[in-house]
Amino acid sequence: MIVEGTHTFHVSAEQLWNYLMDPEVLAKITPGVSQLELVGEDQYKTVSKIKIGPVKGAFTGKLHVIDKDQPHSFAIQMEQLSKIGNAHARVDMAIKTIDAQNASLEFNGKANLSGLIARTGQRVLSGVANVIIKEVFSSLEEHIEEQNIT
Amino acid sequence: MTNYIGKSVKRVEDKRFITGQGKYTDDIKLNGMMYGYFVRSPYAHAIVKSINIDRASKMPGVNKILVGADIPEAIAGVPCGWQVDFKNGDTMKEPPHPLLVRKKVRHVGDGVAFVVAETRAQAKDAADEVDVDYEILDAVTCPKKATEEGAAQVHEDAPGNLCFDWELGNPKDEVAAAMAAAAHVTELDFSNQRVVPNAIEPRSAIGHYDTAYDKYTLYTSTQNPHLIRLLMCAFVLGIPEHKVRVIGPDVGGGFGSKIFHYAEEALVTWASKELGCPIKWTADRSESFLTDAHGRDHVSNAKMGFDSEGKIVALQAYTYANLGAYLSTFAPAVPTYLHGTLMQGLYTTPKINVDVKAAFTHTCAVDAYRGAGRPEATYLLERLIDLAALEMDMDPAELRFKNFIPAFDGVEQEGYTTQVALQYDSGNYDPVLKRALEMVGYEEFRKEQAAQSNGKLLGIGFSTYIEACGIAPSAVVGALGARAGLFEVAQVRVQPTGKVSVFTGAHSHGQGHETTFAQIVADRMGIGIDDVEIIHGDSDSVAFGMGTYGSRSLAVGGSAIVNSIDKVLEKGAKIAAHLLEASADDLEYAEGKWTVKGTDKSVSFGDVSLTAYVPHNYPEGLEPGLDFNAFYDPANFTYPFGAHVAIVEVDKETGEVKLKRFIAVDDVGNVINPMIVDGQIHGGLAQGIGQAMHEGTVYDETGQLINGSYMDYCMPRADDLPSFEIDRTVTPCPHNPLGVKGAGEAGCIGSTPAVVNAVIDALWKGGFKVKDVPMPMTPERVWTAMNN
Amino acid sequence: MGNMITVTVNGKEHSGGVEGRTLLVDYLREHLGLTGTHIGCDTSSCGACTIHMDGKAVKSCTVLAVQADGSEVTTVEGLANNGSLHPIQEGFKEEHGLQCGFCTPGMMMTATDLLKNNPNPTEDEIRHALEGNFCRCTGYHNIVKSIQYAAKKMQSPA
Repeated sequence: MIVEGTHTFHVSAEQLWNYLMDPEVLAKITPGVSQLELVGEDQYKTVSKIKIGPVKGAFTGKLHVIDKDQPHSFAIQMEQLSKIGNAHARVDMAIKTIDAQNASLEFNGKANLSGLIARTGQRVLSGVANVIIKEVFSSLEEHIEEQNIT
Repeated sequence: MTNYIGKSVKRVEDKRFITGQGKYTDDIKLNGMMYGYFVRSPYAHAIVKSINIDRASKMPGVNKILVGADIPEAIAGVPCGWQVDFKNGDTMKEPPHPLLVRKKVRHVGDGVAFVVAETRAQAKDAADEVDVDYEILDAVTCPKKATEEGAAQVHEDAPGNLCFDWELGNPKDEVAAAMAAAAHVTELDFSNQRVVPNAIEPRSAIGHYDTAYDKYTLYTSTQNPHLIRLLMCAFVLGIPEHKVRVIGPDVGGGFGSKIFHYAEEALVTWASKELGCPIKWTADRSESFLTDAHGRDHVSNAKMGFDSEGKIVALQAYTYANLGAYLSTFAPAVPTYLHGTLMQGLYTTPKINVDVKAAFTHTCAVDAYRGAGRPEATYLLERLIDLAALEMDMDPAELRFKNFIPAFDGVEQEGYTTQVALQYDSGNYDPVLKRALEMVGYEEFRKEQAAQSNGKLLGIGFSTYIEACGIAPSAVVGALGARAGLFEVAQVRVQPTGKVSVFTGAHSHGQGHETTFAQIVADRMGIGIDDVEIIHGDSDSVAFGMGTYGSRSLAVGGSAIVNSIDKVLEKGAKIAAHLLEASADDLEYAEGKWTVKGTDKSVSFGDVSLTAYVPHNYPEGLEPGLDFNAFYDPANFTYPFGAHVAIVEVDKETGEVKLKRFIAVDDVGNVINPMIVDGQIHGGLAQGIGQAMHEGTVYDETGQLINGSYMDYCMPRADDLPSFEIDRTVTPCPHNPLGVKGAGEAGCIGSTPAVVNAVIDALWKGGFKVKDVPMPMTPERVWTAMNN
Repeated sequence: MGNMITVTVNGKEHSGGVEGRTLLVDYLREHLGLTGTHIGCDTSSCGACTIHMDGKAVKSCTVLAVQADGSEVTTVEGLANNGSLHPIQEGFKEEHGLQCGFCTPGMMMTATDLLKNNPNPTEDEIRHALEGNFCRCTGYHNIVKSIQYAAKKMQSPA
């Protein structure tokens, strides 16, 4: 399953980086993750809830923020295991400066699913994930706008 | 003489099925029975670093959790029943296939642990709590990519993932020379995609060890109980064969997938003694998708050369065949002796070469599925010839007539010897295609097609196929690598009151043996059909048997019954002669009695039967009783053939294909029960059409089967199919006593290319010179083909 | 076995305890021993488990046993009446509408529901009604004919 896309934010690259390093924000932009709990430096415990047709389950897993190159790029590496299947994913995030007030975030990731979740409904998952990510970025953008105003 | 043969006698087995009294394996409940559930690998390729069963073992109802290390070294893996050697003579690679994996999983669904508990739900709950730590490795799923440099390796001892390479026919240089001289060459790269057999009854097995008799009983949803017993006893568990009884009760469809010996069968049998209780395992549909042997999965390149008149001068085929992660029972035979040998088709092609590479991949095992190898061969030939007709601007039916082998009956005229190791028994190919054209209304259709102007494209596709079935002579299959004989066994036991019990080694799982075989017995013996019972599926009551597959039950199993009947009647005549005080040579048998020729002196079958068991007034030196068995080993395969025609309508805007009509004219030799034969053809057609239009597995590059459920794998449904228009011609088989050829696979072998050819014809006539639309032909694929 | 339920199956009342998660199909097969209703999948797709609940065809794998509390259930075992076959059973036998027999109970239960609501269906209507029932043996050809046979028979009772 591949997720990819780009979104532009009205903040500098450095500011965007700081937002993204906030676990709450990170939880929001990572597809399928509903909660992040810091367990070590750049290491989190994740909780995800997924429901696709008859397949429904809560995943707990690990998320590492790796290959950090502030404020240009980082990657998220995830491993989630559950009764309905496992997911192993890596999403590369690249922050590009557009100008002093604008930066773009390009994400490019691949998730390998296994187990029941892989063979039931996976065909639609990728589309769903991309839609979710777009929504998440829109709300992140709103969040940033609000922060900027206050 | 024939009160039953040739008539559509209603099936005697139906009553139990329509009243809900069928007994399938999962319906059986034994005292003290426990339920098993497998922990299966979610990964296609991984090292099993550790298995922790602590938490799972403490779950309610759990009796035992078995892992690979619990299985004694003495228990071997699941064996393969057919050996194909490399071109250079080396033995094929035959890596072990353990009952439960110890170190490495090789496909999604590989068995890692087996949880036994008081209820199925408890076993399933506990299975969820077994912790397996895997180190995930790269996987490969395509047979062609598997043989390329750098591909992930499935087995350490099969370098390049090659199980074997194989070649048949004329030398390649001779074929190449003929091809070079051809006026036209049609070439196609295509795949025959992997499909899942999908018997609606999921596989199920119950192991039961009886301490009183030191005897195991295995109930299993199988097509061939004796073969399972032989393979399991001799090659897996090493337990004496006479201490094992295998019962294949009612079986809810097989289509090939229930021929094979599966790890689950051996495991429940062995574990029932270890754990001291009967153990039942029944697959989820999800498990069936992951572990029932799949079918097809060939990647091919083929060339067919024609002279300026349209006569085929050469055929060269290269195929990569996917075997999956482990060798299933008959897997090596499918892409070779059941595929390469059919490359002659119905045509007089003088030079043929077929080259096959069989590869291991990190996928479910591939083995025989309805037609097994023959549909792949037919697909290759029939796609090429229809495409060639389009390319050469010739009529596809005419092109076939031009190339058909002339008629031969196998009696007056000799059988036809092919370039690819077979001798066809009897054939008369023009009439099937002529009849099909008549049913289509071919000329009218072509006019209608030319006039079509509503945004829909009409197309017609042909397929004229031959298959080799009724497998087969033991000596021949032995020479080709089979590790078993392929005869069949029957026993005809006449009871003292003249009622007849017939034991057959063929197994019925929908084919209606209980009716067809009874028709033969009743007619041959001149008794009522109600006085005959057909018994099958139990290794303790049936002497032996090779089971049901390859459309062999009637041709081989039916012939064995006939031979047993002959023995019964021969002995009966001696008893009758004694009672009539005549010579046996002066007697004739008809309508259930022996009559002294030219007189009205007769004795009934019932009186002779009673005398055989109450031998007070009895021929001297003759044994009492009237009970004979016969082992029938046929002289050759049988070769049914036919012509299938599909008419489709393609929506130009959406690419959607509607199958408007399907016409099939098959020749399966003599027909015992037309209703049952028609039913076999219908079912085969639906599966063949299903492959063309709906079905196909999708593995992602990590080896996940991403359409492993009925929500995701498209099964043909009632409203996807038209009512079929079928007819037949009859060319009897010259070498078996019934003159029958076999009907189980014909529909599935002929239909697939006809449908694809019809779509190609529609596109071509609509101005889209498309050579191929990959199966299944979804609207998206058809649209893409039109718009590229 | 926390939940007590009472279900009338084929005219006979059954009371007993079931787990909350027990599916109706498992209740019929495992608790009552009515194994004529089959399980062919785990996604409510194949229809092998179709039964009638309060007069309507339902897939008994999508109903919890506790939901059937107080209901009238008919399974394939209850189709025949005092030993004489229901017209749909007769149709399947006469027209060779079954081969392995595994999908047959579900097919017949779906078909009787169709014929109750549409006594004289067209071929298209029959095929459409069977969309939720898989058969791998017959190609549906003779199932359609079996249902047409039953429709005719039910309209002109002997």
